[in-house]
Amino acid sequence: MIRIEPEAWKEMVRHAEATFPKECCGVMIGAEENGARRITLAVACRNAYEGDQKDRFHIDGRDQVAAERRARELGLDVIGYFHSHPNEDAYFSSTDLKHSWPWYSNVVMSVRGGVFSHAKSFIANDDQTAAEPEDLHY
Amino acid sequence: MAKVLIPTPLRQYVDKKDSVDVTGSTVGEVLTSLTTQYPDLRKNLYTDEGKLRSFVNIYVNDEDIRYMSKDATSVAEADTVTIVPSIAGGF
Repeated sequence: MIRIEPEAWKEMVRHAEATFPKECCGVMIGAEENGARRITLAVACRNAYEGDQKDRFHIDGRDQVAAERRARELGLDVIGYFHSHPNEDAYFSSTDLKHSWPWYSNVVMSVRGGVFSHAKSFIANDDQTAAEPEDLHY
Repeated sequence: MAKVLIPTPLRQYVDKKDSVDVTGSTVGEVLTSLTTQYPDLRKNLYTDEGKLRSFVNIYVNDEDIRYMSKDATSVAEADTVTIVPSIAGGF
């Protein structure tokens, strides 16, 4: 189960809608206790994908380093990542799976016509051959 | 000693530490020290052929070693080496 606190969720929706019609991406920071994940800070990152970003993203590495540093300063951890699917449903595509890491929560946000529609979260298995949906609360 | 920051999913292979101090004057030496100390980490960072996995990026402070001298990039005592998951996707 992953719970995204209101301020973090607000930032994720803001970034997803502001980036439309391109894909947005970012880092989710928080803590995990007894299998329950709680996100208290979302960090919007630059999409570094070199090409059409309407259906592709690649999180900027420097932004990730900065987010990792911020998490440690707060005594928190990077728990996962988020990205948007402009004018598409929130599902974990084969491309998402192939370029993900195990353990992390991956929140996919559907944005239609520039307005947030719905979101789902997924966790990839160790060899990145499948991803399980994760109970998402926001 | 340089400090290596360990991403959350890999901490299970380093006694649940979030960072490890290791010796080495280049990135290659630092990562060799790290994976010698924690052998289970090696398969997560390197392919069977001994190359850094494509979805693993290494930064020295704020710089990506792919745009520096790769494994030969210099690491000073006060430097921080960060293992950064390469995260991408699309539909």
